[in-house]
Amino acid sequence: MKYFVRLGDEERVIELQRHAGRLTARCGDVVHEVDLALVGDGGAFSLVVDGTSYDVVAEAQREQVVLQMVGERFVLHCEDERERAAHAVAGHKAGGKRELHAAMPGIVIDVRVKVGDAVEEGQTLVVLEAMKMQNPLTAEAAGKVTRVVCKVGEAVAGGAVLLELE
Amino acid sequence: MSDPSKPKLFRRILVANRGEIALRVIRTAQEMGIETVAVYSDADRTALHVRRADQAVALGGNKPSESYLDIQKVIDAARRTGCDALHPGYGFLSENEDLAEACKQAGVEFLGPPPHAITVMGDKVEARKCAMQAGVPLVPGLQEDVDAAHLVAAAKQVGYPVMLKAAAGGGGKGIRIVREERQLIEAFELARAEARSSFGDDRVYLEKFVTRPRHVEIQVMADKHGNCVSYGERECSVQRRHQKLVEESPCVALTPELRAAMSKAACDLAKSVGYVGAGTVEFLWSEGRFYFMEMNTRLQVEHPITEMRYGVDLVREQIRVGAGLPVSPVPEPRGHAIEVRVNAEDPDKYFPSLGTVSRINLPGGPGVRLDSAMFRGMEVTPFYDSMLAKLVVHGADREQAIARCLRALRELRIVGVTTSLSVAKRTLESAEFVAGDYDTGILDRIEKRAAPRDRELAMLAAAATRFLLAERAGATVEAAAGKGDQPPRWALLGRTERLRRTMP
Repeated sequence: MKYFVRLGDEERVIELQRHAGRLTARCGDVVHEVDLALVGDGGAFSLVVDGTSYDVVAEAQREQVVLQMVGERFVLHCEDERERAAHAVAGHKAGGKRELHAAMPGIVIDVRVKVGDAVEEGQTLVVLEAMKMQNPLTAEAAGKVTRVVCKVGEAVAGGAVLLELE
Repeated sequence: MSDPSKPKLFRRILVANRGEIALRVIRTAQEMGIETVAVYSDADRTALHVRRADQAVALGGNKPSESYLDIQKVIDAARRTGCDALHPGYGFLSENEDLAEACKQAGVEFLGPPPHAITVMGDKVEARKCAMQAGVPLVPGLQEDVDAAHLVAAAKQVGYPVMLKAAAGGGGKGIRIVREERQLIEAFELARAEARSSFGDDRVYLEKFVTRPRHVEIQVMADKHGNCVSYGERECSVQRRHQKLVEESPCVALTPELRAAMSKAACDLAKSVGYVGAGTVEFLWSEGRFYFMEMNTRLQVEHPITEMRYGVDLVREQIRVGAGLPVSPVPEPRGHAIEVRVNAEDPDKYFPSLGTVSRINLPGGPGVRLDSAMFRGMEVTPFYDSMLAKLVVHGADREQAIARCLRALRELRIVGVTTSLSVAKRTLESAEFVAGDYDTGILDRIEKRAAPRDRELAMLAAAATRFLLAERAGATVEAAAGKGDQPPRWALLGRTERLRRTMP
């Protein structure tokens, strides 16, 4: 089975195969001997790659895989070839539309823009208070505000849409 | 248990706090044979400090203002449960002179300085005046709080970059660095708003921002007989938005002479305000000189690194001097200690991460201490500080301490919320930290992502994880279908994959 794994701006195609119980992973021209074993009731894994042992904690939700290993935490997107094909069909959706999300639950302290405003990259759009800190939420790229969904004083959930931009 | 033939210093201590520091105080009290009373908000009903204390009193509410910040409720709880002492921990009411005063009125020993010392040191403007009188060097700036009308002129006079700080501040809240005039007004308003919501006091003052500064602080302990001792320094320059992330002791930049001078300055300042108990005098170190920043009139989060080096229990000392005993002699420090704060936050965005702690692997082995009130199933709520744990290590020297800390960091796993662990790891591995030649800007220069080799490995591990989970899911489907004896999983795989391919 081929997997398309994305981490940040990098992508690798990794092909996993099991022959006679032995698992191998092909990344480009390199083939690794892989042994992955579930520890206990799930979530923890013991991974041995070419004889090197790693203690791994993994949370997999559909195509998102969150790993803790080698003292790091990785959030990866991992789809198999079947999923990739399905996405390619559905992939031609509307582009250019973006949303500003609340990165955490909090209270909207200030909304600095209104519908129709042109914004610059890095410009503060909304100020959100959480854990006593006032956190400015900034525009990831230049654009135009098409909709304001939140208002000052409102308590918002983590991930809630605050603004729509294009 | 403590020696029953010795009289107890106190009968019962009310711990006016939550989280790891409440647990920290409870632990020492238990070792001294002193009973403890926990207080808690609705959100903290099942918190560890409630479960570990001898008694527990509900304060109600979830917001700090309805619970841990309500002086009347806290004092009532102490009275009702017959406490003869109160430990305020850090944060919340720990630097509130009204609580210290209310304790005095209620005949409960406040395990901290007298109200006057809190008042003077708690007001950054007053504290600077006081330090100046005690002969402690200061950073150039305005000792009066500034208003919007005079702000621009004042900043120009001191010279950019300038720092705006809440007069009633602490813990990094209400602080803004301003590099150019055009950022000044927005920064001022944010600092004011934060100061107002955190401290109920929106006064802000302004001072020059010192270049390549290190944050070095001195731990002091004063008794009621006019004695004050120093437990040396802690280096706390690894900060983000003025929130400390990694602390170490000793600080590699200090010469014995400078250490002695800073210790003397800290003790002089403490004595000048009639200080009692544990306190920390924070200095900026820059190019071999030191400047007074502020005095924190409480036990600090990072006190364990001092305890590890000196082999002392600072909470025990607080209790002893609170009971009127003289300060104990200070042992010779040995080795090197490092603390890493583990916060529930997304290290890329610097935002708090909320959720339920679903799995924990704790580190162990030689020289490792973990101070935490975290448990499996604990919910991380937006009501309180995001710190989950403090990982503290001690080694024979700095090199061993760093290696030990990295080893323990690899062992520590927390699942369910995102943590700052990876940033701490990259900091300890960075050439800058290893060399010891760093300043308070170090976190901006730390690698933003994992090493290429680790990233490749993670991508392989992700694919392997999905592959294994798919295999297992396939095996489960076969078993549920009642196929009798299960063939080996690898044999199932081909069939499972064929099945999946034919599905719409």
